[in-house]
Amino acid sequence: MAFEPKRPQKKLNYQELRLYTDEQLKNYTEEEVKNFKPKHDIPKLEQLEDGPWPSFVADAKRYALRRHKLGQENLLINEDVVDDLLGQLELSYVHGETHWKHGGIVGVIGYGGGVIGRYSDVPEQFPGVAHFHTMRVNQVPSKFYDTNFLRGLCDLWEYRGSGLLNMHGSTGDIILLGTFTEQLEPIFQELTQVLDVDLGGSGSNLRTPECCVGKARCEYALYDTQEMCYEMVMHYQDELHRPAFPYKFKFKFDGCPNGCVASIARADMSFIGTWKDDIRINQDAVQAYINGEFPPGGGSHKGRDWGKFDIYAEVIDRCPTGCMSMEDGKLVIDNANCTRCMHCINTMPRALKPGVETGVSILFGAKAPILEGAQMSVMVIPFMKAEPPYDNIKEIIDRTFEWWMEEGKNRERLGETIQRVGLQRFCEIIGVPPAPQMVKEPRTNPYIFWKEEDVPGGFKRDIDDYRSRHAR
Amino acid sequence: MALSKDKLGRFNPDNPMENRVTDIGPRHYWQYFPPVIQRNYGKWDYHEILEPGVLVHVSETGDKAYTVRCGGMRFMSVEFLREICDIADKFADGYVRFTTRNNIEFIVDSLEKVEALKAELAKHKFYSGSYKFPIGGTGAGVTNVVHTQGFIHCHTAAVDASSMVKAIMDGVFEHFTAMDLPAQVRISMACCLNMCGAVHCSDIALLGYHRKPPVIDHEIIDKVCEIPLAIASCPTAAIAPAKTEDGRKTVRIKEERCMFCGNCYTMCPALPLADGEGDCVVMLAGGKLSNRISPPKFSKVVIPYLPNNHPLFPEVVAAVKQVLEAYAKDARKYERLGDWAERIGWEKFFEKCGLPFTEHLIDDYRLAYDTYRTSTQFKYTDAAWAVTRAAEGEE
Amino acid sequence: MEDIKKAIVEFLESGKTKTKFYFKDIEKAVKDKVPNARTLQIKKACSALINEGVLIYYSTGSTTMYGLKGKGITEDH
Repeated sequence: MAFEPKRPQKKLNYQELRLYTDEQLKNYTEEEVKNFKPKHDIPKLEQLEDGPWPSFVADAKRYALRRHKLGQENLLINEDVVDDLLGQLELSYVHGETHWKHGGIVGVIGYGGGVIGRYSDVPEQFPGVAHFHTMRVNQVPSKFYDTNFLRGLCDLWEYRGSGLLNMHGSTGDIILLGTFTEQLEPIFQELTQVLDVDLGGSGSNLRTPECCVGKARCEYALYDTQEMCYEMVMHYQDELHRPAFPYKFKFKFDGCPNGCVASIARADMSFIGTWKDDIRINQDAVQAYINGEFPPGGGSHKGRDWGKFDIYAEVIDRCPTGCMSMEDGKLVIDNANCTRCMHCINTMPRALKPGVETGVSILFGAKAPILEGAQMSVMVIPFMKAEPPYDNIKEIIDRTFEWWMEEGKNRERLGETIQRVGLQRFCEIIGVPPAPQMVKEPRTNPYIFWKEEDVPGGFKRDIDDYRSRHAR
Repeated sequence: MALSKDKLGRFNPDNPMENRVTDIGPRHYWQYFPPVIQRNYGKWDYHEILEPGVLVHVSETGDKAYTVRCGGMRFMSVEFLREICDIADKFADGYVRFTTRNNIEFIVDSLEKVEALKAELAKHKFYSGSYKFPIGGTGAGVTNVVHTQGFIHCHTAAVDASSMVKAIMDGVFEHFTAMDLPAQVRISMACCLNMCGAVHCSDIALLGYHRKPPVIDHEIIDKVCEIPLAIASCPTAAIAPAKTEDGRKTVRIKEERCMFCGNCYTMCPALPLADGEGDCVVMLAGGKLSNRISPPKFSKVVIPYLPNNHPLFPEVVAAVKQVLEAYAKDARKYERLGDWAERIGWEKFFEKCGLPFTEHLIDDYRLAYDTYRTSTQFKYTDAAWAVTRAAEGEE
Repeated sequence: MEDIKKAIVEFLESGKTKTKFYFKDIEKAVKDKVPNARTLQIKKACSALINEGVLIYYSTGSTTMYGLKGKGITEDH
């Protein structure tokens, strides 16, 4: 816990970092925004300006105005980049087709990931986005920031890039959207040398690991997701930047079975917090829920009148294993039959808490549908301690990497390799015995690939011996 | 240290390795925790959602952390990010957090600060009237749609993402700012089947889909592409080497094997897939990620085709609302959309949502047989009677 | 290390129409030539060759390949 970075952290102060003066930062009025006409006509996009949800078009338009007011002398890539992006987007809406091409070569020296090359296929019409390369910046684990870092990043990206970004991309990185090839190296140098932050992953490497909010602000966190995520991303920097895997590989760290960072659907190795002792019960608080003193679900259903809280209908009868009951006015849990689905805890968070002997379940092999169809991660290690320096877990990771690099085919995700060679083989590799926790049910076909050493006498047989008992 | 203003900054093209810093990873998280988080790290006792978008976490120490959650745009300008910073500096001691679903969270240590924040956030509106920081996205409601890049940045996108998300969130906004559904509903959007987002385990998922194989630009393919790479890029081995009539190298596509992923186009710009006329949107439903009550499950395809009507996607928005309202009316408390569909039966799901069941919804990919019903247990709907009539030779 | 680097370059030079290779293809070719080479060493040799400017990465975004600088496509179009 506390502040234990792997390397000294530069103190970032925006006043020292800054590229723009206060006057340059506040360089337009609301009136000017209202009257602003971007370079290209964008009637379709302008249909997205009203309505209650934040409008990316309204945001982009005012930012286009801001770039014009700043002027090309204060920007290193085209002042018109946002106008041209909106223009190309409008054209894409008209055609119902994207106008981007992919590039494979651009990047920063020595790294095989972190930069995605992109080019417009209508560059004469929209020269500002002729190049529109992406840079992935490794986010702070669980995405807390202060304004010194963010304002510094804004100035850097406005000066050397499009000033457009994602907070955050699907895998978790900050995504800087759109710059020219010439600026890739300078931006990388500013990021690493000044803002003290590295690029994230892309291509056949370890993708930027991601974790949930964890112990920072959640009572359900069963291990320190931030610390473990940070430790792993630092430990596996080479795997993150220099691709040599058969395909992408993702770690995600969920603090509990609620799964807020989707590890079970998206990560080749999903680390999900769990516990092995008993759910802690505060019987007074259970009574308070029954009496209606506490809102069920931490108030999650306040928007509709669902009637008085009914502990049977809402908790006991909903328990998937039926391991809960009321005896003499007290809530009783048969913990040996609990599968830790979190429903009772989620519903009565002030009365029930997970156990105190906590660790992680490790599941392997999730991926999106391409190619063999979607896969979720498979339960392989029901429980492991997850405490610094995590050597026990790194050992499992290293065995997994080594085997997959050897056994995996090009463009085969870990889950597909496991599917192809069988879960039992994978268990052998990482050194765990088979267990019924790994399957929903045992196999229904008897086509067992018996090994020679499993069968008395082995596979070498003598036909004469056989014939001594059986005529031809 | 100041950021550089030089054109090439700290990069020296004559000596690119000079002062090079690599492998430093992310910034450490601890320095970005607000004080109330630092003091109570790992000590949280319980939480409560006070109202949509406002949470309190109560520590064993008695400290309280209040979070105000706002719907966010994943795609934003630095100007928007600076506006977030202005609010954070004034009202949240300079700290801000983003969620996995692209929401924005300000964390403060008193209710007075919450009220001040709420008043401030309500004031921030775009000139066009839309909110910049709508408060909500908690509990049993619809939270932000996670999505992919779409036409803003992607070369394989079959539809745009940001516009569809904006249209959907405008359409279901009342459920973002209220917690009036049986359980949380997670909507996701991916602009092609590569699915850069986790749409395959969402309550409602929208997926852009190409429906035509790449068209080959024989004129230039040999010049702009490395043909063996294009061939190797195809996950289904649908691309084979070929010769043009005048003997130049090209490829041919085994069209029946194409799954429309766009990997070949990545390798070879002479193999474009995009086709405004053919591309469409697919809707999936009933997936989830959490282990609560039932195990995580995949989303199922419930509408094979919706038109790609940029930018407002009226048919997509209507379909989302149709499914959402049927679910809101019929499901039990705590029941996720997929749990509801399984309890009532998928035949009833189609009936209650008013969705037609077409041949496209029956799986014919790998492991398809596992999805076929091998039991006499079913419920009667009009679709069953249509089968009966056809089997008996009636009109 | 030098023998591994040499084997990598020789393999990458041997391609006729194909100039970009997955790491696994390189690994296999090197192990045929330098039987005691270990995967991690081969990766390190590739990284060194990248830093020396002999090799380049070629990335689709989802997967990555290696190629010789100057052979086949070496600039984005």
